[in-house]
Amino acid sequence: MWQRIQEIMAYREMLRNLVHKELRARYKGSALGFLWTFFHPLLLLVVYSFVFSFVMRVEMENYSLYLFTGLLPWTFHATSLTVGTNIIVSNSNLITKIYFPREVLPLSVVLANSINYLLALPILLGALVYLKWDIGISLLAFPIVLVIQLLMVIGLTLIVSGINVYFRDLEHLLNVFLTGWFFLCPIVYPITLIPKEYSGIYYTLNPVTPLIVAYTDIFYYSKFPDWNSLFYMFVLSLIIFFTGFYVFNSLQKSFAEEV
Amino acid sequence: MNMAIQVQGVSKKYRLYIDRARTLKETMLFWHRCKYHELQVLKDINISIKAGSTVGLIGRNGSGKSTLLKLLSKIIYPDLGTIMISGKVSTLLELGAGFHPDFTGRENIYLNASILGLSRSEVDERIGDVIAFAELEDFIDNPVRNYSTGMYMRLGFAVAINVDPDILLIDEVLAVGDAAFQSKCQEKIDSFRTRGKTIVLVTHDTSQAESLCDYTIWLDNGEIKAEGAPHDVVGAYLDHLSKLEANAAIIAREKYVDISEQSEDEKCNIQDVKRISVQEETFNNDFNNYQNKMKPERWGNGNVHINTTRMFDDTGNERYVFQCGETAKVFIYYEMKQEIKDLVFGIGIFRSDGLQCYGTNTYLDKYNQESYPLKGVVKITIDKLNLLHGKYFLDVAAHSKTGLPYDYLTRHWSFTVRSRIKDAGVTRLDHQWEIRGN
Repeated sequence: MWQRIQEIMAYREMLRNLVHKELRARYKGSALGFLWTFFHPLLLLVVYSFVFSFVMRVEMENYSLYLFTGLLPWTFHATSLTVGTNIIVSNSNLITKIYFPREVLPLSVVLANSINYLLALPILLGALVYLKWDIGISLLAFPIVLVIQLLMVIGLTLIVSGINVYFRDLEHLLNVFLTGWFFLCPIVYPITLIPKEYSGIYYTLNPVTPLIVAYTDIFYYSKFPDWNSLFYMFVLSLIIFFTGFYVFNSLQKSFAEEV
Repeated sequence: MNMAIQVQGVSKKYRLYIDRARTLKETMLFWHRCKYHELQVLKDINISIKAGSTVGLIGRNGSGKSTLLKLLSKIIYPDLGTIMISGKVSTLLELGAGFHPDFTGRENIYLNASILGLSRSEVDERIGDVIAFAELEDFIDNPVRNYSTGMYMRLGFAVAINVDPDILLIDEVLAVGDAAFQSKCQEKIDSFRTRGKTIVLVTHDTSQAESLCDYTIWLDNGEIKAEGAPHDVVGAYLDHLSKLEANAAIIAREKYVDISEQSEDEKCNIQDVKRISVQEETFNNDFNNYQNKMKPERWGNGNVHINTTRMFDDTGNERYVFQCGETAKVFIYYEMKQEIKDLVFGIGIFRSDGLQCYGTNTYLDKYNQESYPLKGVVKITIDKLNLLHGKYFLDVAAHSKTGLPYDYLTRHWSFTVRSRIKDAGVTRLDHQWEIRGN
């Protein structure tokens, strides 16, 4: 395992280039260029704001702000997984012709999406300033939460990208699954809406929930997240991270024959 | 001497799926339907390659050469056995794999080099060399989608070769670009060798295997058939190939016999020239210069029937490969139903591109015999087979003095002539050099 990670480190230049390629290739040739990065979450924001504050009437102060806070990390999570599922198969020309640590490919997807997430943050911060929202010292906790999320997304992306080589319909299943998953997270509604008797299960079974709660604590409620639950998430993410590497490593030996 | 590559007991099977469940849905629904047969690509391979040597892998298509190369480059993993490699490996399996069409040549150099394991500073150091080597100074900042195939390949080769690995694995990618570029590639590889790097080369070009390599491994059906000094191994390999081809010619001829026996009744009616074209048999792909017009054909009225042709050396061993200048004997076995007085036997030797190198017959040579046995053998002894390096076909014929064919067989037999001297032309004329002052 340690050797694997060292080898991936040796290929960090490739990782860097792939992230660069991922970011550039996605927006190259479009008139709005890099703005497309923000376009997708902004569009979602408009749609959900309309539905939930106008039609469904969620009673929250600045609901859009709350929504946006959760929407950005979710986009990072969901896009990494959807793009990541296909990344080995779509790079079959590399897999069958050149040796490199295969983990680099899914890692590049996750890193590119995390950068997209970071690049969208100024909009969120701008909105906070504009609304004269209370921006607190709690922002310091953001990197910690991000790292925890990164570990988890890397682990999950490694697993799905590896399995998709053998079962090509995972991609489609995952899309349906992600839609359901989205609504199981407290993104479009506050976690307080969950009935008390279920909140325990709701909180522990869905690993994205504590992350969203932590992000909204930091940005929307301007308070430090609950450290206990963060520690729990850290341990869980580490487990997912290493499981991801383990699963991927045991699957990757026949990639070149299967893609 | 340390070993650069050590392969021990390596076996590899591929699964060829007849009906493959590629999705979760299919696997759940039709889990019993997953049929495949296994193809043993490599069987118990043991190879030790010394650091600094240049090794050629030869063998027919499907013999496992490329699989072995992929195993060495860790793209696939063996089912059994171990592979130990010491040093940085670079593989030239396909040039320009991983280029992004929208990126410029320069960007692709960085991208591609990093995929091959170089750091940014290493690329910075070498990018000038790469661009100069690829001869793309004027186009390096254009997107590679606008490149011609040749430019694309050159860039790919330039990047891969400038990675400067300890071990270079090459799979038949040397045929890139024009002659000038090829000789540059050649120089680069030579400089690799002189700097003591290890090269493993898959090639179909046996002369390349001889000129470039100092060790050759011949793979046949996933097993090592022979290994050792290039000259010996290539010789044995060519002998094997010629034998296969000669056998294919025999099979093709036997097909003709089948056809002609079926039409025995018709044959009496048809007195004039009958042409039966014999279907192209399993001539192997290793001879890509084998063209359609070179198909073995046979015609004649059948009054004389040529059964077989064989070639021997002067000690009576059957041979498919001759050294230039060796003695060769051609035996033509024939039979006829009733004795024919007006009988001429002839042979013709053609180079693989169709050029007639020599042709003669008993009439031209004024060889006369009162009577010919009903069943016999015609022996032609060529004291010195002074043909140059290459592949040749033999036509044999029995016909009348006026040219009416009894039995005429083209491309009936094939043989290879090998020569270490790379002289030019068709035949080697006996000669001496002498230079002196006057």
